[in-house]
Amino acid sequence: MNGLAQFTALNRLSLDLTTGLQAVYSAVPEILKHLKIRFLLTTALAVVLDYQLVDAATSDSLFRVDRINALVTVVLFSIAILLYTKWAKQGKSLFVRKIAGLDAVEEAVGRATEMGRPVLFIPGIQEIDEIETIAGISILGRVAKITAQYDTPLVVPVRYPMVLAAGQEVVEQAYVEMGRRDSYNKDIVRFVAGEQFAFAATVNGMMMRDRPAANIYMGAFFAESLLLAETGNAAGSIQIAGTARPEQLPFFIAACDYTLMGEELYAASAYLSREPIMLGGLKGQDLMKVIIVALIIIGVILMTLGSGELYRSLFEAV
Amino acid sequence: MRTIVPVIIAFLSGFVMVISFFFNPDRAFIGRIESEVLVWVTIVGGFTLLLGVVSITRVNWHAVQSKKEGWVYNLLTLLSIFVMAIPAILPSSWSPLLGRATGSIYDWLFFHVDYTMMATMFAMLAFYIASAAYRAFRARNPEATLLLITATLVMLWRIPMGEAFLRLFSDNLPWLFSDNLPDKINTYIMSGANVAVQRGILIGAALGAASMSLRIMLGIERTYMGKG
Amino acid sequence: MNFWEKVGALDRRWIYLLVALSVIFPLIVPMSFKISITPEAQQLYEAVDSLPDSSVVMLTFDYYPSTVAETEPMAIAALHHLFRKNCKAITLSTVPLGGPSMAERVTRTLAKEYHKVYGIDFVNLGYKANYVAVLKGMGTSIESIYPTDNSGTPLSKLALMKKVKNYNDISFIFVVADNDIVTYWISIVNAQYGTPVGAGVTAVSAPKYYAFISSGQMTGLLGGMKGAAEYELLVRAQGMAEKGMGMQSVVHLMIILMVIMGNIAFFAARWAQKGRSE
Repeated sequence: MNGLAQFTALNRLSLDLTTGLQAVYSAVPEILKHLKIRFLLTTALAVVLDYQLVDAATSDSLFRVDRINALVTVVLFSIAILLYTKWAKQGKSLFVRKIAGLDAVEEAVGRATEMGRPVLFIPGIQEIDEIETIAGISILGRVAKITAQYDTPLVVPVRYPMVLAAGQEVVEQAYVEMGRRDSYNKDIVRFVAGEQFAFAATVNGMMMRDRPAANIYMGAFFAESLLLAETGNAAGSIQIAGTARPEQLPFFIAACDYTLMGEELYAASAYLSREPIMLGGLKGQDLMKVIIVALIIIGVILMTLGSGELYRSLFEAV
Repeated sequence: MRTIVPVIIAFLSGFVMVISFFFNPDRAFIGRIESEVLVWVTIVGGFTLLLGVVSITRVNWHAVQSKKEGWVYNLLTLLSIFVMAIPAILPSSWSPLLGRATGSIYDWLFFHVDYTMMATMFAMLAFYIASAAYRAFRARNPEATLLLITATLVMLWRIPMGEAFLRLFSDNLPWLFSDNLPDKINTYIMSGANVAVQRGILIGAALGAASMSLRIMLGIERTYMGKG
Repeated sequence: MNFWEKVGALDRRWIYLLVALSVIFPLIVPMSFKISITPEAQQLYEAVDSLPDSSVVMLTFDYYPSTVAETEPMAIAALHHLFRKNCKAITLSTVPLGGPSMAERVTRTLAKEYHKVYGIDFVNLGYKANYVAVLKGMGTSIESIYPTDNSGTPLSKLALMKKVKNYNDISFIFVVADNDIVTYWISIVNAQYGTPVGAGVTAVSAPKYYAFISSGQMTGLLGGMKGAAEYELLVRAQGMAEKGMGMQSVVHLMIILMVIMGNIAFFAARWAQKGRSE
């Protein structure tokens, strides 16, 4: 295919892409309809396809042109997040569907208050550098505000010293913001054990002795997930779990009352705080998902018709 | 300052690593930053392990000193750390019992204590999964029924006895099952429905993680610093 | 509470007892069954089997001692295969808790059987912190990440490592893992450096990796003890996994029967309740 024919084919492809996006998601920003953006997209596609054949290891170029598809994704993703965050700041109302597990958090804390029993919160068993642990700590902050408000005892066993430090800061801040500085106790967040099953054994012991009314597991879990959840069930606690590890989800679903799956864990912080800026980020992420779904549908149709190789080469792994 | 400096560090580190990914390391210094930083991270990672040991020692020693409830177990933890670590750190040239080679104290303690205890704890999952399955796999509604049937088929498929049992159906009812039933389970459940669901969760989780990372880089998400 | 309601609310300790008996019974009455090979295990076996003799394979011991029942038989079977084919094995671990020790024990035991020499036929690199940095760093230079092997010998003094500088000199990566490290091996090593990756994982994690098999990013998969038994059968080296299939079979059947009983109890109790309310 010569250069002009290739360019024309790409231009048609980019038109199909933008039209498809508009058909699927009517709130696609107006800018995507603009001719200039279509031209940029076509050019980017042309560059990607032209340079796909170049061996990056021997290429003399300054820029890793074989990774341009990743760059386009990163830029698109960032634009989506920033755009929705901007709209949220401007006061645009953003709909977020109900997440039953997160709505149940306040209910669970209320139950614990009525029964006079503590709430047990575990922010995962990974280190602070794991994104799931950060998500868990961020949810801990929200839960700590609720327990501070109702004056419900909160117990947070952690596995690593850095998570201990972050957890203590977050909980203390939550109690201070709710005006319950006097109720805060450094031992709310306690360092329990450094090893996975030692941690599970210690927490199981705490559950059977203290009988918390509510157990909230939010973060990264491994094999101990079932040990914790089953013991919590035996202790009669209401259990809410959230993890992005697909292999642990079945255990939580079988043993817990509510389970947050995958990205619902990352959305939890935004959902519980209802801060416009956080919700904006969530919506931006959803736009990206819509784009991916549209791209998958287009790819399936093209591959079924037997003309999807060109399209597939756009998504070659980096 | 306490808030601004960490946010600036988070932004700069994230931004530099992202940018570095798109430049040729042979042509630009910025392309080499990624691999340089990763080597630094490996070195720092070694120190964080040491930091972990120091923190565990400090926390447990404090519990022993103040005779907190269960302080004996804290003392046991401290003894375990030092009995295992000190012989492992000392040079094996002093004695074959030192170091981490086969026959050393570390090696013996690892294989006869740690190895067996960890395997035992993991083995307990078999009991827990049985009781969780008994309680959770009830045909309360259509979704639960689907879960129950799929789980039963997969459990049968994973054992030789079960495979032989499933094959009985395809061998004796060829008009109903055109192919080997265990292979059908592999194709339609494991490589079909399972793959679709796993991909969906993986894509969603990856987007969620990327969004969270972007929020941290831009300073929108600061709860990990204690600032709600 | 009528009989079926009692059955439905059975004390979990009876279930624990049944599981214990199901595990003990095959130990007293040994059972052996015909094991069929899944296409994923066959694919992994063929990928390793098609390697030219003297190829260099990286075998990782990325599992904790807790999962040895499922993962160690895979590592052992893999080493049987590699040593039999005269492939060179570079072992390493991204797990600090005993990974290098387990690698040491398994490789030394099998090396004696096949008369393999350390430093020429196999090397144990040991453990280094931060697996992302390790995996990426080895793409440029293995020596930059592991200046010495697990026993402290500089890599420059090992004959095998003089020929192997980075992933370009490695023909295949056989990951034996019980955690998410497989995803990093695929996304960092296979995606960016093109080295084929095959994995043996625990049964719990195996469903996740079917997506990578289907997209061609992973070459073969062993799932759990069954996967280990399949590989042992393929390399004709009977080990713990094949023997363990008897126990696994009885326990699975017991759980299935318990689930059926639980459902019968559930419906019977429901009908009884309906009858009472009418």
